[in-house]
Amino acid sequence: MIERTYIIGRDEVPCLVRLGEGESLRWTIVALPGTSCRLSIEIDLDGPGASVDLAGLYLCRESEDVQINVLLKHNSGGCVSRQLFKGIVGGTARASFDGLIYVKQDAQKTKAYQENHTILLSDKAVVESRPQLEIYADDVECSHGATSGFLNADELFYMRSRGIREEEARRLQMISFISPVAERLSEDLKAEIYDSLA
Amino acid sequence: MDDLIKDLTRQEYKEGFVTEVEQEYVPKGLSEDIIRLISSKKQEPEWLLEFRLDAFRKWQKMPQPHWGHLKMPEIDFQDIIYWAAPKSDSDRPKEIDPEIEKTFEKLGIPLKEREALAGVVAFDAVFDSVSVGTTYRKALSEKGIIFCSFSEAVREYSDLVRKYLASVVPSGDNFYAALNSAVFSDGSFCYIPKGVKCPMELSSYFRINASGTGQFERTLIVADEGSQLSYMEGCTAPMRDENQLHAAVVEIVVEKDADVKYSTVQNWYPGDAEGRGGILNLVTKRGICKGSGSHLSWTQVETGSAITWKYPSTILKGDFSSSEFYSVALTNNYQQADTGTKMIHLGRGTRSRIVSKGISAGHSENSYRGLVRMNPGAAGARNFSQCDSLLIGSQCGAHTFPVIHNQCPTASVEHEATTSKISEDQLFYCNQRGIGPEEAVGLIVNGYAKEVLSRLPMEFAVEAQKLLSVSLEGAVG
Repeated sequence: MIERTYIIGRDEVPCLVRLGEGESLRWTIVALPGTSCRLSIEIDLDGPGASVDLAGLYLCRESEDVQINVLLKHNSGGCVSRQLFKGIVGGTARASFDGLIYVKQDAQKTKAYQENHTILLSDKAVVESRPQLEIYADDVECSHGATSGFLNADELFYMRSRGIREEEARRLQMISFISPVAERLSEDLKAEIYDSLA
Repeated sequence: MDDLIKDLTRQEYKEGFVTEVEQEYVPKGLSEDIIRLISSKKQEPEWLLEFRLDAFRKWQKMPQPHWGHLKMPEIDFQDIIYWAAPKSDSDRPKEIDPEIEKTFEKLGIPLKEREALAGVVAFDAVFDSVSVGTTYRKALSEKGIIFCSFSEAVREYSDLVRKYLASVVPSGDNFYAALNSAVFSDGSFCYIPKGVKCPMELSSYFRINASGTGQFERTLIVADEGSQLSYMEGCTAPMRDENQLHAAVVEIVVEKDADVKYSTVQNWYPGDAEGRGGILNLVTKRGICKGSGSHLSWTQVETGSAITWKYPSTILKGDFSSSEFYSVALTNNYQQADTGTKMIHLGRGTRSRIVSKGISAGHSENSYRGLVRMNPGAAGARNFSQCDSLLIGSQCGAHTFPVIHNQCPTASVEHEATTSKISEDQLFYCNQRGIGPEEAVGLIVNGYAKEVLSRLPMEFAVEAQKLLSVSLEGAVG
């Protein structure tokens, strides 16, 4: 199991990884506020039983330009991949996620899942999401989901009616939105991220 | 199970016959002279000829698009006959040639108004490049509804046509739309006046018969304020070893509070089991929800064509307007489909819903391609998309290429997609209860596509269900 956290701009993210039989990888990729990037990652699953658990977080508050491009290739059958990317985008930022799951012919018993969720905070910001599936084998279980939305007004009202300040309430909402990814990070980094939401 | 897959690829195409009628053609090829010739054959006004020539000049500068997930055969645009019509004294004979009438009878399209079918469906039948008959025109005109061939509309309702033509799909919109704008032959025109609810289903039926020709029809539908319309479209062609080009344009204008439902059952000749021949179906369909509270619904069942390249789209301009797209696309043998929709949200509180069900079998490729765009002004807009793919056999491909573009902080977009096959368990469950494998697959596929099929008007739903089960005879993955 290769487990790693990459902070874009601080760490160098490998652009191509090949996994052989039975190997597994668990990565978390973070774009902190103020980071613009064009990130391209290709992960090839070349041996049976390989697995990937990939999560990403992008926080854009000003004029960042974040582009994340993931190509996940199932070249061998019997592999599992999971992807979860979450973003909060405000200011005049642009954020795009482009993720392709490719399942080669005869890569049977593949399981591949991909999710991309974003929250848009301002009308000057732009969010783009392209979750793609290219599948050439039939005995597979593949799905993807993408959403783009805003902070729920009912939740906000609930907290405010209980004496939580609006700013704090929004922060709590954002924390709960990103926590599925943030929970994978170290305590220090998590605290840094949660503070940056204030 | 392999035998069953083989069975599936040996399905028959019962609409594949050729009608023997004398036809007249314009010379092969495309040039300004050919366009002038088509225009003069149709006795068109000067402005329309100018429109065609303008589109042709734009088309000449455009590259053929290759972004689709399709292996497109080389199309020689100079090797196509752009206009073919059954011979007769005028563009639109009083008496329909009995041979042609028989053809449409055979296809289940009655061109004679019959008591039994009265008040159910009105047809406009297009045979190669001309419309050969429109039924129930009198009953419709009593309500102020105009339903006629496009050529006739140009002559008789010139102002209306001029006002709305190319208002949704500009002549230079894309390569095939530009080609269509330059050489379009016939099609249907439909205008529903203010507050009128159309008393019957309107329908166009397109038939390609002549060899070496392309069909380029144009449909224009205008639903004025508060009106209501359900429109259906069907198509078939003979079996041939050559690829034939079908490049149509459909434009729909939906005014305030109007409601239009557009249904298609596309069954062009798909080519044989080795992938020879078949129709290249390269179509631009777009509607605009112009006024507030307007509604446009697309429903399509795509089972034919060697290549389908088609994205019925809606521009949601009016506040609180809404649109839906329901699609079943089935590909078999070497068919390729790249189809989907675009929902462009401009107005406040606009809503859209996309349900796409792809089924691929044999060596086919089936792609969903879609765009949901929320512009900054689309406050409170919503979209939900669901795209499912079903794979039958291990030689086919199923792909999903959605794009979500959100610029509005109060809009919400949801998309989900799944890919799966008919599981052994499902089949076993049916077999165990005495349902044969063929029937079980039909049952499962029909269940899978039910959400879409149930949206079709009754007459079409029956046909579509039959089509699906014929196409899937004995299919197991």
